[in-house]
Amino acid sequence: MSERILKYTEALREATDQVMAQDSSVCVFGLGVTYKNGADGTTGGLKQKYPTRVFDTPVSEHAVTGMAVGSAISGMRPIVHHGRVEFSLLAADQMFTQAAKWNYMFGGNHPVPIVIRIAVGRQWGNGPQHTQSLYGMFGSVSGLKVVIPSSPRMAKGLLIAAVRDPNPVVILEPRWLYALKQHVPEGIYVENLGKAQVVQSGKDITLVSYGDGLVSAREALSIIGEKASVELIDLVSINPVDHETVIASVSKTKRLMVVDTTHASFGIGSEIIAGAAKAGVLSSAPVHLSCPDVPCPTSTALTEDYYPTKVIIATTILKAMGKAPIEQTLSFEELHLAPSITLP
Amino acid sequence: MHATLLKAYKKMFLIRAAEQKIADHYLRNKIMSFVHFYVGQEAVAVGVADSLGKSDKMLGNHRSHGHYLAKGGNMRAMMCELLGKEAGSSRGKGGSMHMIDTSVNFVGSTPILAGVVPLACGVAFEQKFYKRKNITVAFLGDGAFEEGVVYETLNLAGLFRLPLLLVVENNLFSVNSPLTDRRARGHDSKTIVEGFGAKYMRADGNNYRDVVKKASALTRYLRGGSGPAVLECVTYRHMAHSAPIFDESCRAEDAAEVRKAKDSIARLRRELIKSGISEKTIARTEKNIEQGVEKDLAYAIAAPLPKKETLFTDLYV
Repeated sequence: MSERILKYTEALREATDQVMAQDSSVCVFGLGVTYKNGADGTTGGLKQKYPTRVFDTPVSEHAVTGMAVGSAISGMRPIVHHGRVEFSLLAADQMFTQAAKWNYMFGGNHPVPIVIRIAVGRQWGNGPQHTQSLYGMFGSVSGLKVVIPSSPRMAKGLLIAAVRDPNPVVILEPRWLYALKQHVPEGIYVENLGKAQVVQSGKDITLVSYGDGLVSAREALSIIGEKASVELIDLVSINPVDHETVIASVSKTKRLMVVDTTHASFGIGSEIIAGAAKAGVLSSAPVHLSCPDVPCPTSTALTEDYYPTKVIIATTILKAMGKAPIEQTLSFEELHLAPSITLP
Repeated sequence: MHATLLKAYKKMFLIRAAEQKIADHYLRNKIMSFVHFYVGQEAVAVGVADSLGKSDKMLGNHRSHGHYLAKGGNMRAMMCELLGKEAGSSRGKGGSMHMIDTSVNFVGSTPILAGVVPLACGVAFEQKFYKRKNITVAFLGDGAFEEGVVYETLNLAGLFRLPLLLVVENNLFSVNSPLTDRRARGHDSKTIVEGFGAKYMRADGNNYRDVVKKASALTRYLRGGSGPAVLECVTYRHMAHSAPIFDESCRAEDAAEVRKAKDSIARLRRELIKSGISEKTIARTEKNIEQGVEKDLAYAIAAPLPKKETLFTDLYV
């Protein structure tokens, strides 16, 4: 039996199609979601299949997101798509203050089953106002559930789980992963929204990442090979953060390294390190790889050193283990173009 | 006609009496919930609510005791909520700015001003999606009408032809800032609203009969499926923005005689007497209402506080 290999975007599209077939209250709203290649291909063809449930919208992020929140309050299950995190900020009131607080501020039993899909992070040529991730911002808002799918399989399972969840769920999708391929099960399945996953077991050091950073971390491990035994954790959820899984791992390895694909300040890594430090499970200083605390520029000459690469991750792990670094030069494509590799 | 007007008067008086009792209690014992009093604007809430059916939906803002009660919201649950009690409509987690009673289709109130406008648009979207016959009303103030999302929503609701009625309660002040400090010369709400293809009407918000007449015309229009409408009610808030005080130094109009002249309740009372209902009958009705409200407040005062562990409940469903 040959494996079904799907791209990350195809997995998101399939998940949307399947939940729409299953639940007639699921509608999709967003700029250009009715296009043939709508929302980077994640909504293509859905308008033809569900003509009364897929809506191209005015360029009115606040009103459109708010309308979706209102329909969720009435029991529908809307999916809103924002093509850049910067655009979604125009709807901050509806995401952070309305949807996220509704159930709590009315004392419970007032579900808001909305899913907000937001494309985040790096892409060549996009510059300071199109490449932010703002993970820390979304992670800090109480009342939201926030996940970052790191693979096609996770993307499908998390999106289905998000639509079925009675709470507002934000899916931060690293655009960098859109071309990634993987075997994706054909049927409907869910991935746990609030739980980290151990991707690979190891005993020397715990490596925590998420999204695009996790993909670089996976590649780093194949560079390292047998030189170190690394336990790799996909954080999956940044709201809530699954400290338990991380702490259990660090209790075993005693060493912690985190890879952020956002700024170090108020990023995710600092939160993970704080959790492990408070639990008292570290026997050495934790290592934090991240982007610098400046906006991501556009010129490739400047972005070359912006994101932690697989080589830097591998070298840093080996250094932490007291081993010799590896020498490897990355090609222009590896540095600047989204990976189209097939994950195991 | 008498019966209808008397019924409306009772509702308006109930709202006024409830807030007066709350205000008295507020001044004597600190209520630890921000309270934005509705005193003066009662004709708007009741006039609009009387144009609706029970299955029509309503959303409000930071100043929504009147909207909630006019829609039939539970008085004791409201009093308990204001006093932070377990039996409150939001179990003490919301307070005065978060009124809700879904049993009467009061969907919720939220104090980020025009933030409620797209939410109401979504509630109307659901009605249209399932081809229901109901409509949705959202209340906002003249300050909120200056926020951009109102215009985004008028366009969106027009695009989808949603049964959405926005009631702009223009009480002339945003906190203490008059319209003249906030609006461009030539600013015209009617032109703005009609520019989106939406229906606009303006009512005297201090006159119940004018409000109910125009609200009824607009709710009929909305049921026809032509898209959104705006009812601007020019009214007057008697008390300060968020406290039960009358501060004559802030607004020239706060002089007691001005407030009295504009008072919608006094006006409707005069009309009832003129129409033949005796002063005695009205006074007796008022007394009954006040006694009921006193009982409800006493109930709320005696009600238990929420358990401390509920701080952590309801973050998620």
